[in-house]
Amino acid sequence: MSTSLATESLPASLLQPAFADPVLDAQRSFRAALKALAGPGVAQSLLATQTPPHLEGLAAASHALCLALLDIDTPLWLAPTFDTQAIRANLTFHCGCPIVSDRQNARFALLDDSQLHDLSGFDLGNDRYPDQSCTLLVQLPSLQGGTQLAWHGPGIESKNHVSLPLQEAFWQEREARNDFPRGIDVFFVAGSELLGLPRSTQVMFKPQQSRPQQSKGAA
Amino acid sequence: MNAATQPRPQPQTPRDEAYNFAYLDEQTKRMIRRGLLKAVAIPGYQVPFGGREMPLPYGWGTGGMQLTAAILGAEDVLKVIDQGADDTTNAVSIRRFFARTAGVATTERTPEATIIQTRHRIPETPLHADQIMVYQVPIPEPLRFIEPSETETRTMHALNDYGVMHVKLYEDIATFGHIATAYAYPVTVDERYVMDPSPIPKFDNPKLDMSSALMLFGAGREKRLYAVPPFTRVTSLDFEDHPFEVQKWEHSCAICGSHDSFLDELILDDQGTQSFVCSDTDYCAQRVSQGRAGQ
Repeated sequence: MSTSLATESLPASLLQPAFADPVLDAQRSFRAALKALAGPGVAQSLLATQTPPHLEGLAAASHALCLALLDIDTPLWLAPTFDTQAIRANLTFHCGCPIVSDRQNARFALLDDSQLHDLSGFDLGNDRYPDQSCTLLVQLPSLQGGTQLAWHGPGIESKNHVSLPLQEAFWQEREARNDFPRGIDVFFVAGSELLGLPRSTQVMFKPQQSRPQQSKGAA
Repeated sequence: MNAATQPRPQPQTPRDEAYNFAYLDEQTKRMIRRGLLKAVAIPGYQVPFGGREMPLPYGWGTGGMQLTAAILGAEDVLKVIDQGADDTTNAVSIRRFFARTAGVATTERTPEATIIQTRHRIPETPLHADQIMVYQVPIPEPLRFIEPSETETRTMHALNDYGVMHVKLYEDIATFGHIATAYAYPVTVDERYVMDPSPIPKFDNPKLDMSSALMLFGAGREKRLYAVPPFTRVTSLDFEDHPFEVQKWEHSCAICGSHDSFLDELILDDQGTQSFVCSDTDYCAQRVSQGRAGQ
């Protein structure tokens, strides 16, 4: 029976509850996101009581951000890892967001670390309306464990030292696509934690002993 | 006059369940929230948003109220000030509005508030990192009085072309001998966008620079919102030979004796007898309760 269903009409059995308190849990998730973006590099935690029930494949904070920010006005692009029936069914049902296959049309995108070497196609906004850019939600196994980099810019008093487990290719992609005020805003998510990286943040590459030829020196 | 005597206890009202939490519907809140995230990512840039009708007229803080409604949570403590005062009509009405529709705690004490909605002042008491300031903005576009076309001003922002703003300030100097702009004094945010800091007196401009608190600005009629993140450089426009400076008073506050707060002038009788009092009523009341008093 289930095989006869068209992909568009998703089986109701995949659906599961979203926020226990749709109003206040969405507000709390948003405030965490606002604080994360207004203080780049400082991880914010969502409490277990305010995150939605586990959805296979999504970290608690990714799920909470989707429920808090997406609706019919925000086409979503899913990386292949997240393009499962359960995720499609639940986000379509609870948020009502269109899921698009073309990066250019997405206002939000859900990525994992396998996608970060190529950020082409996402809308960067334009000089008159830089706010029309796509926001990336990047789900990582952890928010620590990578090379330590110094971030500075608006929201950071002097410097924040952040060691996200990212390949250098990501930073080169970001560098190449950021042309302030156009640019990419990213939320990095792991478990119930999130960390913001707005386009306004400058990332300093310290010379590393392990990699003597540091290519991209930001500012 | 000035609320310098006893602090009024703020009764916690139960939420009026006939309204959604904080009045606005959830989809409107999401739209404003997404706009706020972009505003924070592009400091000083004006994000257009679908402003809603609020149950009070434009000019009474509908922009600020929509931002407050979008960020407000059950645990927040709200303070509302109008020209520095907690006890004026606009401040009292907005505070009661959110006490009724969101059931949140309200306060007049600056350090106790987590969200401070303000019309035309920044509190004298330094803000801290867990606070959000929400400004009510009448005309968000600093270039509007020079260039009436939105298409043109948007292009000027896009091209980082602000020469005309300096011309306006120069014309002040040519006419009056000094920069005569005393409020809504234009600022540059993080060396990029020129921004209207809302009609705060220029006395308050230095408080925007590297503030610990997040600053959000909402213009209801013009349907624009913008932001200054914490620890962001905010510089007031000026010239090398006419540096930016703030107002100074020869007087001190008649109630608390403060020499360094923003003072309101009061005319006491038909002979024009003057008196000066702090515009920030909470700051003044705290100084009085600490035993400081005027002459």
